[in-house]
Amino acid sequence: MSSPEPRARAVARLIAGTPAVVSLVGALLLTTLVMLAVGVDPGLAYPALLRGAFMDGNLEYTLAAYVPTLGMAVAFAIPFRAGEFNLGGDGQLALGGITAAALALSTGGAGSFVLPLIGAALAGALLAALSAPLHTRLGIPAIVSTLLLSVPAVSLASYLARFPLAEQGTGLAQTPLLPLAAHLPSLGASTYVTIGLPLVAVLTVLWLLADARTVPGYEIRALGANREFARYGGVRVSRLTALTLAAGGAFGGLVGGLIVLGAPYRFVDGALTAPGYTFTAIAAVLLAAGRPLAVPVTVALLTILQAGGQGMEREAGVPSQLTQIVQGLIIVIVAVAAVAKARPSRRPA
Amino acid sequence: MSVPAVELVGITKRFGDVTANDGVDLAVERGEVHAVVGENGAGKSTLMSILYGLHPPDAGHVLRAGTRLRLRSPADAIAHGLGMVHQRFRLFPGLSVAENVVLGAEPMRRGVLDRAAARRSVADLAERYGLDVDPGARIGDLPVGTRQRVEILKALYRRAEVLILDEPTAVLTPGEAAGLFRMVRELAAEGVSVLLVTHKLDEVLAAGDRVTVLRGGRVTGRFPTAGTSADDLVRAMIGRSLATAPTTAKKPPATTGALPTAKKPPATTGVPPTAKKPPAIAGGAPYRLEVRDLRVRDRDGVAAVGGVSFSVRPGEIVGIAGVAGSGQRELVDVMTGLRRAHSGTVLLDGRPVGGARDRRVAYVPGDRAGRATAPDMSLADNLLMGDQRGFLLGPGRVRGRAAALVERFSIRAASVRAPIAQLSGGNAQKAVLARELSRDTPVLVVEEPTQGVDVGAQEQIHALLAAARDAGRAVLLQSSELSELRALADRVLVMFEGRLTADLPVAEATDERLGAAMTGATGVRRPAGESTE
Repeated sequence: MSSPEPRARAVARLIAGTPAVVSLVGALLLTTLVMLAVGVDPGLAYPALLRGAFMDGNLEYTLAAYVPTLGMAVAFAIPFRAGEFNLGGDGQLALGGITAAALALSTGGAGSFVLPLIGAALAGALLAALSAPLHTRLGIPAIVSTLLLSVPAVSLASYLARFPLAEQGTGLAQTPLLPLAAHLPSLGASTYVTIGLPLVAVLTVLWLLADARTVPGYEIRALGANREFARYGGVRVSRLTALTLAAGGAFGGLVGGLIVLGAPYRFVDGALTAPGYTFTAIAAVLLAAGRPLAVPVTVALLTILQAGGQGMEREAGVPSQLTQIVQGLIIVIVAVAAVAKARPSRRPA
Repeated sequence: MSVPAVELVGITKRFGDVTANDGVDLAVERGEVHAVVGENGAGKSTLMSILYGLHPPDAGHVLRAGTRLRLRSPADAIAHGLGMVHQRFRLFPGLSVAENVVLGAEPMRRGVLDRAAARRSVADLAERYGLDVDPGARIGDLPVGTRQRVEILKALYRRAEVLILDEPTAVLTPGEAAGLFRMVRELAAEGVSVLLVTHKLDEVLAAGDRVTVLRGGRVTGRFPTAGTSADDLVRAMIGRSLATAPTTAKKPPATTGALPTAKKPPATTGVPPTAKKPPAIAGGAPYRLEVRDLRVRDRDGVAAVGGVSFSVRPGEIVGIAGVAGSGQRELVDVMTGLRRAHSGTVLLDGRPVGGARDRRVAYVPGDRAGRATAPDMSLADNLLMGDQRGFLLGPGRVRGRAAALVERFSIRAASVRAPIAQLSGGNAQKAVLARELSRDTPVLVVEEPTQGVDVGAQEQIHALLAAARDAGRAVLLQSSELSELRALADRVLVMFEGRLTADLPVAEATDERLGAAMTGATGVRRPAGESTE
């Protein structure tokens, strides 16, 4: 502690030892091996990946993908802090999206973009909150019920977009163009970066503050750390579980609304779930390994990987699926590290 | 005497700092029912896990019919004729009895399970040992007692000659338990050796031939059941040293000045306990805590607490004694609001306790890692629980509050930000006590306050409890250490099978009277002539 050098080394060791760094470095190593195995020059592929994410006007797309991924990461992270898994992100996205579209169309834009966004968040919250009583009363784990409820929610949104809300005469599975007043204002000259970016950023910061410095944040953390301890301490476990699921669902629904109210300003069936924001976000949260402040960073990393993958495919001829392999490897390494950490502490009852 | 069917020699097993078994010797003859008794945490389960190949011992070995065994897994143990029925059954509810029994050693015909052969052999086996089970029945449709029979059949099907039953009656109704013991005697008559692990003494005396008593990982007694009384067993279970402990109340010395010990007036030391209370809240004061005809059923519908009534006055420590598993846990759960009673009430200053955790009750749980703390959270976060109110929670305020408690209760911790799991047992316990005492509640409920705590911390904890009493709180102290109860309590209640069997002023709480009450007052004695050998 006295001399700065060992201290710096200790800090370095601490950083190097975090699961995020271990899994990222491990995944990059394995990916490099895969590249070499299929005969791609990593020295060519990695720069292409970075160019694909940041250069040649690509930054706009990367940012446009960052916003929903970050939102979905928070949607997963809030219940995760309380020990619950929200795997129903797709359903919350789709239901939020179709609700926003329906509200925008039915009010003719009178509610600007605010009313549709509020409706979207509520729809997502309601859907996710359904899992709370299933868990606390019937004993069905949220990890199962959120995932199962997601499927009918996606189908319902799809049905609404194909029939009652469908654009007449085109035969496409999409709603008509939403009224202009409901379009999200763009930031600067960009079409794809809207005020959704500052909105999600502010909400994320609010979540981080709530987690670290409020009583509900503390109780949620205690619930996740030891459910019985929280119950013993007077935490209303069922209510708080419902609250975290609803809050997570609200983020999911809101992201759905943000996507629909942005370009191309309509609900296109499948367009919300196809990019796979939900599971990229889950990977990012797992990668952050219990450090909420790391979530925006891990989301950025994975978004860059995904956005850059396209550029890599164009320039280096590497299939963009390779970035999905990297993402999968990260999750595997995080999981293995977590199991390895839990092992030695196991004792007989 | 012939070679024992199975023999454990000098078994020692440590988990970290905890020595679960310390040089344990145990021999079981062929056709003998051998009971292993001891309180929770005495090392029974660890010993049986070693015998069943679940853990390798650190020292010592296992002999089977005189041959030394190397047990690396339960599969090894099964191959050597050992079988175990666990407390929680390991059966597939959707499969039939026969399918469950033959699982892992199925009779095959042309590569598929021969169901007819399976049913036949299971039926034969059941008949041979007099176990009444329908091989075709689906496990999910069977009552618990029958499922246990299936577990026993499973072991016998694998040719078990030594059968370990771990707390077999924990899940059974009294009628089913009686059936189990008849069955155990029949198995023994067929030459099967049975190891019966339990902490219920009437069972031991009813069904066992010999008894080995464990306490703190060591053997503290070996008895033939014939001519042995429950009192003898209790004495071995709770420790011989207690017999020499003085029967008069002796309060611990008020220790270091750093502790918030409101020193008791010197005049009160040594006088009978009724006179110990400060005059302002003496005898005539209304009861703080009243428990009226409380009944609690556990998950399986068995009565855990069956009609308990008592009261605690302000400035009084009431102790609860009893062999572990006599309903103390459930009683405390109801009194703190963490469990619903089936019937009856708990009144605190006249108003009922219930629903969720009652903030008027400070509570120091016995299960430190499972309930009293979240081991991975910081000391500061652990010290906060129960006192989180309002909405905003500045990290500076949380840490400042924690630092103040650390200082006041002289808790030794590197940092309030470090996980509480890094603290020693004594310091973690002091932290829990600090948290609970920091709220000014009328009632304090404490479970096993000094379990796994070093001697120095023990004294400090006792002083803190005495100080809480002197401050006029009503204190309920559940402990398995009779010396602790005698040192602190004004009255001692004894629980046995969910009922109160004694309510003694501490001066009358002698080993003999407590021991008798802990075994159901009657002191079940088995006449020597009734031996089954």
